[in-house]
Amino acid sequence: MMTDATIKKVCVIGAGTMGAGIAAQIANAGVPVLLLDIVPKDGDNRNAIAEGAVKKMLKTDPAPFMGKRAAKLVETGNIEDDLAKVAECDWVVEAIIERLDIKQNLYAKLEEVRTPGTAVSSNTSTIPLEQLTDGRSDQFKQDFLITHFFNPPRYMRLIELVAGPMTNPTTLEMVRDFVDRKLGKTPVDAEDSPGFIANRVGTFWIQQAVNSAFDLGVSVEEADEIGGKPMGVPKTGIFGLIDLIGIDLMPHLMKSLTSTLPAEDWYQKIARSEKLIEDMIAEGYTGRKGKGGFYKLEKGADGSRTKMAKDLQSGEYRKAARPGLVRGSAAKGDLAKLISTKGKVGEYAWAVLGPTLSYAASIVPEATATIVGVDDAMKLGYNWKFGPFEMIDKIGAAKLVERLEAGNMPVPEILKMAGDRSFYRIENGKRQYLGTDGEYHDIVRPDGVLLLEDIKLASEPLMANGSAALWDVGDGVVALEFTGKMNALDEQVMKLIQKAIALVKKDYKALVVYNEGPNFSAGANLGLAMFALNIAAWSEVEKLVKGGQDAYKALKYAPFPVVSAPFGMTLGGGCEICLNSDAIQAHAETYIGLVETGVGIVPGWGGCGEMLTRWEENPRQPKGPMPAVSKAFEIISTATVAKSATEAKELGFLRKDDGVTMNRDRLLHDAKQRALAMVDGYDAPKKPEYHLPGPTGKAALMLAVESFRKRGIATPHDEVVAGELATVLTGGDTDITQVLSEADLLKLEREAFMRLVRNPNSQARVEHMLETGKPLRN
Amino acid sequence: MSDVVIAGYARSPFHFAYKGALAKVRPDDLAANTVLGLIERTGVKPEDIEDLLMGCAFPEGEQGFNIARLVVLLADLPLSIGGMTLNRFCGSSMSAVHYAAGQIACGAGEVFIAAGVESMSRVPMTGFNPMPNPALAEKSAAYIGMGDTAENVASKYGLSREEQEAFAVRSQQKAGEAIKKGAFKDEIVPYTLPDGTVIDSDGTPRPDTTAEALAGLKLAFDENGTVTAGTASPLTDGCAAVLVCSADYAAKNGLKVMAKIKSMAISGCAPEIMGIGPVASSQKALARADLTIDDIDIVELNEAFSSQSLASMRDLGLDEAKVNLDGGAIAIGHPLGATGARIVGKAASLLQREGKRYSLSTQCIGGGQGIATILENA
Repeated sequence: MMTDATIKKVCVIGAGTMGAGIAAQIANAGVPVLLLDIVPKDGDNRNAIAEGAVKKMLKTDPAPFMGKRAAKLVETGNIEDDLAKVAECDWVVEAIIERLDIKQNLYAKLEEVRTPGTAVSSNTSTIPLEQLTDGRSDQFKQDFLITHFFNPPRYMRLIELVAGPMTNPTTLEMVRDFVDRKLGKTPVDAEDSPGFIANRVGTFWIQQAVNSAFDLGVSVEEADEIGGKPMGVPKTGIFGLIDLIGIDLMPHLMKSLTSTLPAEDWYQKIARSEKLIEDMIAEGYTGRKGKGGFYKLEKGADGSRTKMAKDLQSGEYRKAARPGLVRGSAAKGDLAKLISTKGKVGEYAWAVLGPTLSYAASIVPEATATIVGVDDAMKLGYNWKFGPFEMIDKIGAAKLVERLEAGNMPVPEILKMAGDRSFYRIENGKRQYLGTDGEYHDIVRPDGVLLLEDIKLASEPLMANGSAALWDVGDGVVALEFTGKMNALDEQVMKLIQKAIALVKKDYKALVVYNEGPNFSAGANLGLAMFALNIAAWSEVEKLVKGGQDAYKALKYAPFPVVSAPFGMTLGGGCEICLNSDAIQAHAETYIGLVETGVGIVPGWGGCGEMLTRWEENPRQPKGPMPAVSKAFEIISTATVAKSATEAKELGFLRKDDGVTMNRDRLLHDAKQRALAMVDGYDAPKKPEYHLPGPTGKAALMLAVESFRKRGIATPHDEVVAGELATVLTGGDTDITQVLSEADLLKLEREAFMRLVRNPNSQARVEHMLETGKPLRN
Repeated sequence: MSDVVIAGYARSPFHFAYKGALAKVRPDDLAANTVLGLIERTGVKPEDIEDLLMGCAFPEGEQGFNIARLVVLLADLPLSIGGMTLNRFCGSSMSAVHYAAGQIACGAGEVFIAAGVESMSRVPMTGFNPMPNPALAEKSAAYIGMGDTAENVASKYGLSREEQEAFAVRSQQKAGEAIKKGAFKDEIVPYTLPDGTVIDSDGTPRPDTTAEALAGLKLAFDENGTVTAGTASPLTDGCAAVLVCSADYAAKNGLKVMAKIKSMAISGCAPEIMGIGPVASSQKALARADLTIDDIDIVELNEAFSSQSLASMRDLGLDEAKVNLDGGAIAIGHPLGATGARIVGKAASLLQREGKRYSLSTQCIGGGQGIATILENA
């Protein structure tokens, strides 16, 4: 197999949303990329389109770039002057307008300038590969494939790969390896069939859901409530999703599929447009990017915002309702219950799910060889929690067949073949899927993909309690998993950490802190803390703080390597466990920060001292007692959260030599390797010494806080919290000539923490966060 | 005793801190280049120079180690020339002129370079390690932010945001006109970057600024205030230098004399309204020169902020038509330590250009001070 090192430079042609976004993600991987577009009709700058796309991306939220430095890896140009530069590129991605003649024309030109053997791929979502390469040389056809990214390319994990009959397997594997390891995508192999996998099922699903809402008189709020969370679909549901992607895109999707699918395809029968939607598009109500969509926010005179919804019958906007129709287990993923609920809920749920699941089942193996391909595509490309076949398993294939037949709906072969069997099963600790051959097959993970999910199928935890568990992840490495709600951290976690240390010391080599929840950890369990505050159980609260400090420091000085593997939200105490580890192996999409000030407290599990140490180590910082203190203060007092692992390095949460893994599924493996690499000759870190400025430094910090307050950026209680944080970071009553130990700093942290939790304004912040999920700005 | 005269003025281009063309230039390199430019343009014999005085508001980091002496060595000037760094915040390099004049007056030298430099990109405005005395911070406004003083002056003098913005627009327009006429060409010593790029003009002025554009800016210091980034001088990188010598020396060596120093003064005021510093210092200097404000033809008043400029002009009874003919610091920029030398040198050159008799250069200073210099056309 080729290594990822084969692709050292990429050219992306077409600087629209997709092309530019793909270029950004390549740059995020640290790979130089040439971004070309046409020469604009007007103006002197021949590179204006590609340059404009990069500039626009620097302002886009959510950001396509993981950091400003990535943008510098994008070289811009135009097709007329710079096409010859593709000779230096190992992969050319075409992401231009969806017109066959224009694409073919470009490929003809590419054929003249590219180096034979370099990969060429199209990001087309609608045009068959066979037509794209028509008229090209055999060599070109061997190097060509379709790489279908999803929008936005940085955040959507799916990429569909379509190889033609002549595509060189080496080329295919080279691209597969690169998009997997470097771009962090999960490649799913698709056949050269219309709409490939995700959009084929997705377009059918959206159409069916919209049709059914009109036909059954279901409102947009009702449709999104029934068709959203209960089905494991993102809470935008159907109409909210259409608003997000743009209502004006719907006719295009429909046209492309109806023109390419065979006449007898089920989609041809349901494809229809509604006058109300046509009118909306004509009037500029194209969704979130336009004047509004099925939903819109209406601003009141007092600045308040009201969510409005489109009435599908009258076409008027009215205040959006919260129907609250779905109750009980049907609301929590029990699909069998959902579709058999009496009345509107069951009726609409079945009208959407029945045909959609049947249709999804019908495209195997036409669109992709296995059911896993369909499920992966929908989970990664549409953010469904369950793939269609996983949903069918929840209902039961036989029951689904029965109901489809009763409704005179098509029953695909694969459903009949499954009979009473489930599409997935666990056998000998391995997950298996039902193949089109009627046999079960192991789901085989690519090299370097290690999932706790798989380990759990084959083993029991080494130890576990209500909030955490320890797993043997092989080669002498133990994984510490958080298992509480939102992976919240509490006394139980701390207790298990202490036990883990004894266990690893005795029988293992290293520990990784890792889990597979939606986020690494949102920090300490606030609900529990609030309960203690309410009954003024101060000694309990202090015990929790001290227990956390002790556990984290024991981890830090344990006689074996500890590697934390954060991903997603890694906040507060979740961040602090990373800071107290020997090394961090972070997923590229890690949003890490010390956000304690948002709830009126200061980091209490060693975060303050660790941030000071990190900034003191930074060779680019000026010397003296203040720069590291000021930096740590600025970052913690404003509850700054890094928006990527790259940004986390800039903010000092990650050290320069901490690792970044682009593909989420490779995180545990990489963290484990990182830990194992440290085992030989491992020495626990030396305890830091702090030379802090004391009250003089605090005076300087508070001058800055005061000016923030005047500018209206800091609130009165912010000033109080910042004052406590300043006390900790400047070393309390110390003097510049004194040396403070880590224990001194932990004590300062604890004392400041305890003063703040007694403050009613801080308590109000905690309560507000628990109730609303948002910080109180008191 | 011989008169003390200004026999030359030069400065570097001025550029915005951080994003400007000089952000990557070390202040000592910039100063060496500017001083050499001054020596070349005036024709002074380097070996005759007694001392190189360098004003700097945050003399640490790349501005540390006594930057004045280092500039002598960097510029390969004769080792016989001394070097002293002076700090009076924004008044630093005007103090350098005063010190030189005093030394000449008491016979302790004949030729001095009075310069100032500040890279606000490379050394932050509070220094790298701000460590205020907590007790003093408690009892006084000693460490007050400059923006807050501008707000205080604005409210004390009842200066509206619109008035301040109109003043800023005029400053930008005057600078724009001056650029068009090439009025800065003679004073700027070009700086060549390592890649060969020659920086020979200012990056700071925004001559097309309009009142409407300024009205759209966010308040910079106080959510209930009136001061914005548009009515404050920008953070700037730059250097300025003047040649100060005795009239006798200038005559003997054929140097072109621009002006003679008529009087000088320092004053203090409350730190929280440091912006009115020019008032008392100018009044003292006028009294020492036995002149009234009406005798002054040319005024270089450092525009730290619109508000303090307007307040100072009001209290001094200054006619704005005489003030900052080529624009002020709001347009040109205010590299703290360099400004004093710039506005003394600029006043001298304006006396020559306009054929006028007396000029006043004055500025406010953080911590609550004012400084003033009156020149007479030679």
